[in-house]
Amino acid sequence: MTAVVVRRKRDWLSFGLGSWAVVVYIFLFIPIGFLIGHSFTKSSAFEVWAGPPTLKWYPKVFDNDQLTNAITASFKTAFGATIVATLIGSLAGITMARRKGRWTKPFLVLVLLVLVTPEIVDAFGLLRWFVSNQLQFNLEGTIFSLREGLLPLIIGQSLFSTAVVILIVRARMEGLDETLEQAAEDLYATPRRAFMQITLPLVSPAVFAAALLAFTLSLDNTIVSNFVNTPGNSTLPAYVFGKTKSVLGPDIAAASTMMLLVTLVALGLVVVVLKRAGDSSSDIAATITGQ
Amino acid sequence: MTAISTSLDLGPPARRRLRAPKFLLAIPGWIWFLAFFAAPLGLVVYNSFGTKIPGTAGDVSMDHLTLDRYRESLNSTFFSVFKTTMQISYIGTLLCFAIGFPVAYWLATRASARFKGVLLGLVIIPFWTNFLIRTLSWTIVLSPEGYLSHQLQSWGILGGPIHILATKTAVQIGVVYNYLPLMIFPLFVALDRLDPTLREASKDLGADPVRTFLRVTVPLAMPGIVAGLLLVYIPLAGDYLTAKILGKAKGNMAGAFIASQVIDAQNVPSGAAMAVILILLILGSILAVGGIGLAISKLLGLARRVDVVEASVR
Repeated sequence: MTAVVVRRKRDWLSFGLGSWAVVVYIFLFIPIGFLIGHSFTKSSAFEVWAGPPTLKWYPKVFDNDQLTNAITASFKTAFGATIVATLIGSLAGITMARRKGRWTKPFLVLVLLVLVTPEIVDAFGLLRWFVSNQLQFNLEGTIFSLREGLLPLIIGQSLFSTAVVILIVRARMEGLDETLEQAAEDLYATPRRAFMQITLPLVSPAVFAAALLAFTLSLDNTIVSNFVNTPGNSTLPAYVFGKTKSVLGPDIAAASTMMLLVTLVALGLVVVVLKRAGDSSSDIAATITGQ
Repeated sequence: MTAISTSLDLGPPARRRLRAPKFLLAIPGWIWFLAFFAAPLGLVVYNSFGTKIPGTAGDVSMDHLTLDRYRESLNSTFFSVFKTTMQISYIGTLLCFAIGFPVAYWLATRASARFKGVLLGLVIIPFWTNFLIRTLSWTIVLSPEGYLSHQLQSWGILGGPIHILATKTAVQIGVVYNYLPLMIFPLFVALDRLDPTLREASKDLGADPVRTFLRVTVPLAMPGIVAGLLLVYIPLAGDYLTAKILGKAKGNMAGAFIASQVIDAQNVPSGAAMAVILILLILGSILAVGGIGLAISKLLGLARRVDVVEASVR
């Protein structure tokens, strides 16, 4: 008798929790649905729906020079930032897990500080730092100039990504058995060979996943990109953000929808790579969200 | 770049390990963060003690170091913006918890194992959608001339168009939306790693579901709960874009106010002082809440322990 009552109670709880989850999922997808829907509107204003659906805004994205320049700049800086973040971040992440010492804790604090500092403060600081004279070693006119070209954007976007890469790679290395590398050294592999043939292949899925996440983070970056952008080099989010003061056209919705697809492809790749490396779905979620 | 590749080539040489510092391969990381994170932040802190040179585009005089900018910040409208910021952050964090916990609990304990990955992916997709774009999308959803507004009016639910944009409410909705996944992920990970047999053991020992939930599930999921609260609160309190896009002037938050000081008013020292205050307040409030939480859990622990001690003494 009591067992039946308990069971029924449980079922009501499951039903309640499940319904709540459905409501929350709808909430999570409402704005995305509206955005994609409005990329097909006939109206010339972004937020007004007018049917019947039209595809005309998608080709218009490529007619708008400012928009295409912004998209190109976005991809270029995202590639640059990803390379920097992956190189620096993987090396630091591996070293943190394998060469622990008194330096590890202060470094971890630094990494966490990068992650928690409000982006607006980072952006403000970088802007001041780049225009101040402390860092200019007569680099004007070269690709190393911090006042023109894409370098300031690449640096700005790489900071957060580097910290994320470090945490992901470090977590993966901590989970890897160090005895494999020791065995390689016992079998007379040079440290370099042990690193290249044992450590690197084992950690590479995490490095690849981290690189893709760094790439989407860079594409996503708005605040720093908006602050440190140089004349003629505006990324797509910075361009869109600049436009929010006036009326946005549905071409922005179309461009955003395409960028969303790029992000989804990158995310899908991350999942595939981690699945192949034998992660469970909850491990993957933990990696993607930096747990 | 060349420095990085040469240090990679060196590897961790066994014989030289004694001489080379342990953090050799982390040196690029140190340099990168010190040069482009710590130094700019230090410059902000330094500038907060300076004075704006009138008539220039944001030049700062550092001849006399002064605390005046801090005093001005606390007396001006910034103080009220701060109150709004803290209000939005606390309510936002609690709302995210209230909305997110049941979802995480459902995902971890009720969702079928086959679809768990897909269901998690569905939480991740909005989170990885461009932050600016998903915030802008809310201006479509909440627009007075938008689809939702028209539908709600034609169904008779609303008497007139929606007027939420450019208010505090819009910012509140926006931040809950933007940071909700950051609450769900850590809660899910913590609840998912919980062994279901623990709950069954508690039930077998006579605990009712509520007691099991409060005495077994919640304490064991505590690290995930704390992580979720921090992951939401920290970026939320420093938010700039959501307030700027959905709040305009009315739903102003500290981050947006700092930006307007720097860009529009070109008052770098004031903006810098406000940035320092914002960071200190975020850290301070975390320490305060953490301290209170720790004290409460200590007291609860003591309250529970008394019974045991008394019983054993008798």
